[in-house]
Amino acid sequence: MNLRQKLSKIFRLTLLFMILFVSVMEEAKAQDRTYIIGTDTTYAPFEFADESGRLVGIDMDLLEAIAKDQGFEYEVRTLGFNAAVQALESNQVDGVIAGMSITEERQESFDFSDPYYASGSQFAVASDSSIESFEDLNGESVAVKTGTTGYDVAEKLAAEYNFQLNAFEDSVNMYEDLQVGNSQAVVEDYPVMLYATSTGRIDLKFIGEQQAVVENGFAVNKGENRELLQMFNEGLANIRASGEYDEIIARYLGEEALAEQNNSENIFTQFLNNMRPLFEGLWATIWLAFISFFIALIFGVILGLMRTSDLSLFKILAQIYVDIMRGTPLIVLSFFIYFGIPQMTGLQFGASIAGIVTLSLNTTAYIAEIVRGGIQAVDEGQVEAGRSLGLTNEITLRRIILPQATQIALPSLINQFVITLKDTSILSVIGIVELTQTGKIIIARTYQSGSIWLIIGIMYILLITILTKLSSRLEKEL
Amino acid sequence: MPMIKVENLSKSFGGSEVLKAINLEVERGEVICVIGPSGSGKSTFLRCLNGLDQINGGRVLVGDLNIAEKSVNIDHVRENIGMVFQQFNLFPHLTVAENITLAPIELHKASKKEAEDLALDLLKMVGLEEKIHDQPTSLSGGQQQRVAIARALAMNPDIMLFDEPTSALDPEMVGEVLAVMKKLANDGMTMVIVTHEMGFAREAADRVLFMDEGVIVEENVPEQIFDAPQEARTQNFLNKIL
Repeated sequence: MNLRQKLSKIFRLTLLFMILFVSVMEEAKAQDRTYIIGTDTTYAPFEFADESGRLVGIDMDLLEAIAKDQGFEYEVRTLGFNAAVQALESNQVDGVIAGMSITEERQESFDFSDPYYASGSQFAVASDSSIESFEDLNGESVAVKTGTTGYDVAEKLAAEYNFQLNAFEDSVNMYEDLQVGNSQAVVEDYPVMLYATSTGRIDLKFIGEQQAVVENGFAVNKGENRELLQMFNEGLANIRASGEYDEIIARYLGEEALAEQNNSENIFTQFLNNMRPLFEGLWATIWLAFISFFIALIFGVILGLMRTSDLSLFKILAQIYVDIMRGTPLIVLSFFIYFGIPQMTGLQFGASIAGIVTLSLNTTAYIAEIVRGGIQAVDEGQVEAGRSLGLTNEITLRRIILPQATQIALPSLINQFVITLKDTSILSVIGIVELTQTGKIIIARTYQSGSIWLIIGIMYILLITILTKLSSRLEKEL
Repeated sequence: MPMIKVENLSKSFGGSEVLKAINLEVERGEVICVIGPSGSGKSTFLRCLNGLDQINGGRVLVGDLNIAEKSVNIDHVRENIGMVFQQFNLFPHLTVAENITLAPIELHKASKKEAEDLALDLLKMVGLEEKIHDQPTSLSGGQQQRVAIARALAMNPDIMLFDEPTSALDPEMVGEVLAVMKKLANDGMTMVIVTHEMGFAREAADRVLFMDEGVIVEENVPEQIFDAPQEARTQNFLNKIL
């Protein structure tokens, strides 16, 4: 099989793959009313991935029991707390269960179920710390998680006891800050901290009482999904009555659960234990990069041609597109597409679609520039030779300029592919479980961030090295 | 009817007029050499004949077609006018054979077989049949230019334009290219050749044009131009180079 046949086979396979993908998405939509429930990624014991990558925890088990009792279908999206809340506001999800406290402020935007758990915020310090009380925190730093009740509590106490706040996006980073000594205390919901310390994942000493005890509820968007809220309340009442509720709580916070020890494992064991989610994450990364790059290649070539065309309207339009995309940070673009567009237009789409659209839009601009550069690097004499033979503009472009431009642009295109592949990690912010997000999820359970990030880093390096070697062979063959 | 008729042709780049009111008729089978100092407008004049450069005034008629007119398909006109460039401009991503067969296959809808037979015939004519499957970059300058001539002939044109075809060649390769051009001239091809090869012009041309500062200063049969130039500028130029 020669190279051209190989390439055309790859092309056909990719097309087939895209068609399959789209039809799977369609099918998922066509199914009768499956509720989409958003949740946090890193909030043990409420939700966390176990070693096989399955999402478990108090919230997950309650939801499962309630859905079974009430007979409704649901699908969980692990988005991270802030993203889940935004997704609920923009109707990307039908409900959120994420150990969310019922506050007055949140009640303005959301309707809450009956409370299913009550907890307060707990302050803690390293087990060997000399700090015994709030008074001892004078002049020290306290690690907090943004958007949580603990944050509000800490903010109020900060003035009274004169300590500073270090704000983090998730619990893992917060605990790390304590462990490396940047902060002297942490604030976290009581059950979360109890679970983390008692299962031996982290050595903490509690100070003071639980602060601002509030109740946790399941939330839907204001005025939406009333039937879902009602089913949740009825189901909750039923499982409380049957005793299943107590079983679930005991499963995570009972004596037995808390006695479980998680000895720190070496990096190979870590890798072996988490192999399945890691490879699933790797596959998602590859898949996102390939589809996005393929789409971007098509539009990038069109735009690149527009950039070099004699028509100034085409030129200007392409230039504007490139300027906008180059000027927009990828993370802003992904937030805008995933949260902004649904809010502004009412359009609904999943995170994978939003992710692919984001990456394709961004990569298209860079490919357009690479294509433009490649075309402009072809000697003017080539065009003159073609045209003087009587070849039309179109034939000259197709048979003479583009093949040479491709050869010139190939190294830059390969480089762009590597960039696109690495940029998939940014999509973890909208909850796509690719390799980086997989790392975050595993660390939320194991608190072993050093070794997991090392594993993830090595996986990226290996993947990119293999792909680069393959493409340089391709380059030589062409 | 002349093959090419140029009437009052003028051409400017930016503000400067590089060709001024040029008139010329080229008869079928005629070989015309254009000589003159650098910057005299020779190459630009040649490029106006097949529309690679657009003219600003006057007319260029190829057969009875005014090539500047919108209704005239310039691509069709060019199929009938082969052009050979100073820098050869072979397509580096294609083989020698593919360089020659590209236009017949794309434009004449020739089959691959027909086109390859044609390529082989043309390569025999320029003495390079053994190079048919080579890449152009592996050939010497003289060989590349001969392939470029074969490529230009593949569309079976009535007219051939040569823009300083030997100026980029090492001296020892000039002869092989000129020999091919002489063969073409003897076969009755209509040719317009911009050249610095005075010996070739004297031997092969039916008529020699001396151009300077955008005008045809003098035109005549080669013997007259080279042995008894009438204009001071012609004498001056020939004295410098001969």
